[in-house]
Amino acid sequence: MEVTYGLSPEAVIVAPVGRVDEATWEKFGAHLSRGVEEAASQSRPTMIIDLSGIEYMSSRGLRALTVAKQEGVGAGVSVRLAAPNDIMREILAISRYDRLFAVDETVPFAEGGGA
Amino acid sequence: MTADPLLVRFWGTRGVVPVASTAREVRAKIANALVVARGASIASFEDAARFIDEELDFAATATYGGATSCVEIESGDDAFFVCDMGSGLQQFGREAMGLCRRGRPAKFNVFLSHMHWDHIMGFPSFLPAQDDASTIIIHSCHPDAEDALRRQQDEIFSAVPFEAMAATISFVAVRPGEEIEVDGLRVTAMQQDHPHGSFGYRFGDAAGRSVVYSTDSEHRIDDMAREDAFTAFFREADLVICDTMYSLAASNMAKEDRGHSSNLVAIDLCREAGARRLALFHHDPFHDDEAIQRMHEDSIRYEKLTRGGFPLDVLCAYDGLEILL
Repeated sequence: MEVTYGLSPEAVIVAPVGRVDEATWEKFGAHLSRGVEEAASQSRPTMIIDLSGIEYMSSRGLRALTVAKQEGVGAGVSVRLAAPNDIMREILAISRYDRLFAVDETVPFAEGGGA
Repeated sequence: MTADPLLVRFWGTRGVVPVASTAREVRAKIANALVVARGASIASFEDAARFIDEELDFAATATYGGATSCVEIESGDDAFFVCDMGSGLQQFGREAMGLCRRGRPAKFNVFLSHMHWDHIMGFPSFLPAQDDASTIIIHSCHPDAEDALRRQQDEIFSAVPFEAMAATISFVAVRPGEEIEVDGLRVTAMQQDHPHGSFGYRFGDAAGRSVVYSTDSEHRIDDMAREDAFTAFFREADLVICDTMYSLAASNMAKEDRGHSSNLVAIDLCREAGARRLALFHHDPFHDDEAIQRMHEDSIRYEKLTRGGFPLDVLCAYDGLEILL
């Protein structure tokens, strides 16, 4: 799984690419943990997970989001989701994760983002 | 030689506590159906039944029911097989007594997932237990199963003490992971994560068909690697009956530690296992028929959105549903 990390004055932006399923969820989760650590160490109060490169996510990937959210609470970092495609938007609704996370249409704080 | 059919019959599909539709809910269903039927030509019961099947969805005309966990596995005409003894056991018992009066052996093999009240509350009113012609064999992985059933019928809770049940009742200790043969079915148990522990059961017949009963089983976010064991337990099953009481978000946030699972985890486990069908089960007593139907529709959609190989048939169990394997 390819992941890029970005840093804005307000947030760390983690942008994974591909599918998050039974084969990739552990790497995905590790990247999210790294993003939370990065945000805490760089004194950024927010980690944005840019979902624009994610095709779809199974329940293990969704639960990795929950782990990241919990790690964020411990580290004083809030976790937001951004730019889901239509499939991901539907999965977030079906899983009710759109009630657990703030979901932005575009990536806030990024160059050209919507914030 | 043709194998006996393997039939799964749901007598109770609700979790936690029995619920029932109210008069207002039934009236609303009828009123809505009449509004939709306005102008339709319905002159007979058959016309009405056809209209219901073709024009109205399940929640509009029926109910998922409110009896708690009880599932029968019918394999031939000899011994009965029952998973759990929730309030659905009462209706099962009435039907079974009728069959026994017509000659079917009154032998009941019960498999207990655990002894929380919604899984044993049907036993005191189980008619075959009050008949001295019945033999009831309760299989459980819990060493305290007998104690729980006896305590349930202490005088403070019940007018009928356990000792007064006329049937011949015995308890068989099942060891998780060790296959046993019970009246023609091979049975294996698996430990699950639930307060005081719960156990799933896998049943296989001589024709190679298999059913998994896995209720009251939490799949934790900090132990996802353990799910490989469930994938193995569900492997290529013809039907997996799964606890899907909560949404994924609820199961790992607000309802964490309650010992239950979600529709999405059940779908992913079944798909990884190559199972053919999943029955959503142990419905939330706070959910009305429309809410359960929405969860079923959401589940079908999720399965389609994330499908990688062959499709998984996602069913929603209701009291009275029969699935022929």
